[in-house]
Amino acid sequence: MILGARAVSKAFFGNPVLRDVSIELLPGRIHALLGENGAGKSTLINLLSGTLAPDRGALVTDGRSVPALSPRDARRLGIAVVQQELSLAPHLSIAENIGLGVAPRRFGLVDYRRLATLVAEVSAQVGLTEPPHTPVGKLPLGRRQVVEIAKALARRPRVLILDEPTSSLAAPDVSMLLALVQRLRAQGVAILYISHRLNEIFGFCEHVTVLKDGTVTADRPLAGLDPLGLVRLMVGRDPQDLFPAYRSTASEEVVLQADEFRTVGAAGVDVTLRRGEILGIGGLVGHGQEAFLLGLGGAVPARAARFQIRTAEHVRTAPFASVAQANAAGIAYIPADRKKEGLLLPHPIAFNLLLPSFAHDRMRRRRRAQERTITQALAQRFGIRGDLLRPVQALSGGNQQKVALAKWMPLAPAILLLNDPTRGVDVDTKREIYLALRAMAAEGKAVVLLSTDTPELVHLCDRVMVFHNGRVATTLAHSDATEEAIVAAALGLPEHASMTEAAA
Amino acid sequence: MTYLIRSLGRSLVAYVVVAGLWITASSLIPGFGVFAHLRYIVELGAIIGFAAIGQTLTVIGGGIDLSVSAVITVAAILLPMLSFAPDTTGLGAIALTLLVASGIGAVNGLGIGYLGLPPLIMTLAMATILQGVLVLIAGGSAISVDNAALTWLGASHAVGISATIILWALAAAATLFWLHGTRSGALIYAVGTNPEVSRLSGVPVQRVTLWLYVAAGLCAGIAGLLLLAMNGQGYVGIGDPYLLSSIAAVVLGGTSILGGQGTYLGTIAGAVLLVTMTALITVINASEGWRSMILGCLILGLLPLSGRDRSR
Repeated sequence: MILGARAVSKAFFGNPVLRDVSIELLPGRIHALLGENGAGKSTLINLLSGTLAPDRGALVTDGRSVPALSPRDARRLGIAVVQQELSLAPHLSIAENIGLGVAPRRFGLVDYRRLATLVAEVSAQVGLTEPPHTPVGKLPLGRRQVVEIAKALARRPRVLILDEPTSSLAAPDVSMLLALVQRLRAQGVAILYISHRLNEIFGFCEHVTVLKDGTVTADRPLAGLDPLGLVRLMVGRDPQDLFPAYRSTASEEVVLQADEFRTVGAAGVDVTLRRGEILGIGGLVGHGQEAFLLGLGGAVPARAARFQIRTAEHVRTAPFASVAQANAAGIAYIPADRKKEGLLLPHPIAFNLLLPSFAHDRMRRRRRAQERTITQALAQRFGIRGDLLRPVQALSGGNQQKVALAKWMPLAPAILLLNDPTRGVDVDTKREIYLALRAMAAEGKAVVLLSTDTPELVHLCDRVMVFHNGRVATTLAHSDATEEAIVAAALGLPEHASMTEAAA
Repeated sequence: MTYLIRSLGRSLVAYVVVAGLWITASSLIPGFGVFAHLRYIVELGAIIGFAAIGQTLTVIGGGIDLSVSAVITVAAILLPMLSFAPDTTGLGAIALTLLVASGIGAVNGLGIGYLGLPPLIMTLAMATILQGVLVLIAGGSAISVDNAALTWLGASHAVGISATIILWALAAAATLFWLHGTRSGALIYAVGTNPEVSRLSGVPVQRVTLWLYVAAGLCAGIAGLLLLAMNGQGYVGIGDPYLLSSIAAVVLGGTSILGGQGTYLGTIAGAVLLVTMTALITVINASEGWRSMILGCLILGLLPLSGRDRSR
């Protein structure tokens, strides 16, 4: 074994992300790492590459057991990572990026002549034909990914970790990567390959480790598994008592209809929204779901071939130019990132609860007594305890989320757009939020719930739209919306595959 | 009223320092504590105070206005040139001047709010351009004013208090009402704390920003007119001292330079503190150098005091 982890655990702010995870990377083997968003893949990579230290457990390098690796250890051991979120400096040239940290030196300065030789060598291996002095920022995303791979190769790795390397690659580059990976395997390099593209997993890899909620659910050879079997390993879990019993409150009355809705990152979306309905939005991160939600909420520019909204007293025929406009028409958008997008952290809870009301109807005096009545009622309804004049940053993540949701209630929105409302929220608050969403639907609001937590889509939603590559891959009715079906659609597997599975 | 008292907290330091200085100086320096002298100090403070209304608003809104001194000079030079025969009261010329000052603020606000230019750059560029225009128009000569309304303003008193001070008191009340008594005032704090959160909460961030800078232009214009009334002449450079003193008044008053926190109530004390220092230096006949040094130390010294109160 070149590199491995033995029963490592890691928690962030008390939330366990990895629990007793073990993995073994062998020379000359291509090892796949699979798991849903938030399963702990990135954390495991960070432990293996020395970016993070485990809370418990040990890392194993060349048969030696150590409590943690430093980035310097990782470099010495020849561990190289091709990052999913690119780690290139856009203003530096291709050559300089490849040479960062490993550039040959002379008299303390970069030896550009020897660097050029190194760059030429790795560029040839990955098919990088652009002039080496081109600034990386000028390259399209796919080519930057190729530079990223070249950069990893320049470190002459014994262990190469590829974190979703093909997510932005063009098809010819994918075959280049396949050839390269095969060649490295022949040279005895240990390779860890992370991807959501199952055909690549089956095309490249021999062994697979599947993570599920921070624990290993499979560590076995790939032979004998089929795509749906893999998907089942990724999602397989019993729905606990976390969710309220499903009971639809959807009516026939359409409040919003859009044809060929498009925005930056999503296109060709047809959507119909009914009173009292919870519409789920699923998909892998970055496949257009968030863009769709932002576009609908007026936060980013959007267009539609046909757009109609019928909330309380509004009939409107074009998407909204601003959040304020969307609010006026009865739409509220609740962002995923509470700290950067949802709340004014240094300001009191009460002020945060009042902000949308102030913005909505701003040509008025403030009436402190009336404000107090409103905020106290909201706090009571959502179970926000304590002095409302404390800064909102003093609250826990779950309570902050309640404030971010509660602040829209005074506007009585007819349509709620929620972006991953339970991210980083403890289990108890999750359940409170689920109950609140069901209650709002029962009141006749239309709720659109984007979630990266697939069980939420399965257990709360009347319908689930699954996005893939900026389009709606499929829309599943509640009865068809199993975790398997949602994940399969998010991965871009053809719809009939899951159907035949359900029939079998 | 309770919210005013609560928001007074962090600006209290400036009031304490002012009170301390006045009491000490009155007992040590004969003539300092005389009503007429204190009134004179507050009158001088009014000009800084007006310039600092705009500065307080833009700083709370997450920006800054480096064009206040240029706008003050524009007003002080423009008004004498705008005297025309049918306008016997001079009110027409005053209205026009203030319109121009607000217009300059509006250009700042459009650049910052709608084009997304950094406030520092936008207002600095505006100040530089205006300086150039002023040099071309007025050159090095001073222009005397002959405006009936302005003369009246400079000379009038009510119950022993000059019209300038009364005007400042009214403007201060209006500013405080806007900031603390209206919903749109609350939005200024929101925008200054986090424009993205504000935008996603439905706040028209661009429009709020525009109005902030319009108000800043208007207030700098009024400061220019008051200065002209006191001086009788306008010339290039007349507004120069008021840029740094308006920022100093804001900071001394406990408003966070980072935006989103603060009140004009503190700025009032800051402005009075600044002119008190000048008066003290004049009375004890020390050099201007001392004033600047002491002032710099005060700014540094008061910052942690008001900061500690904020991070509570």
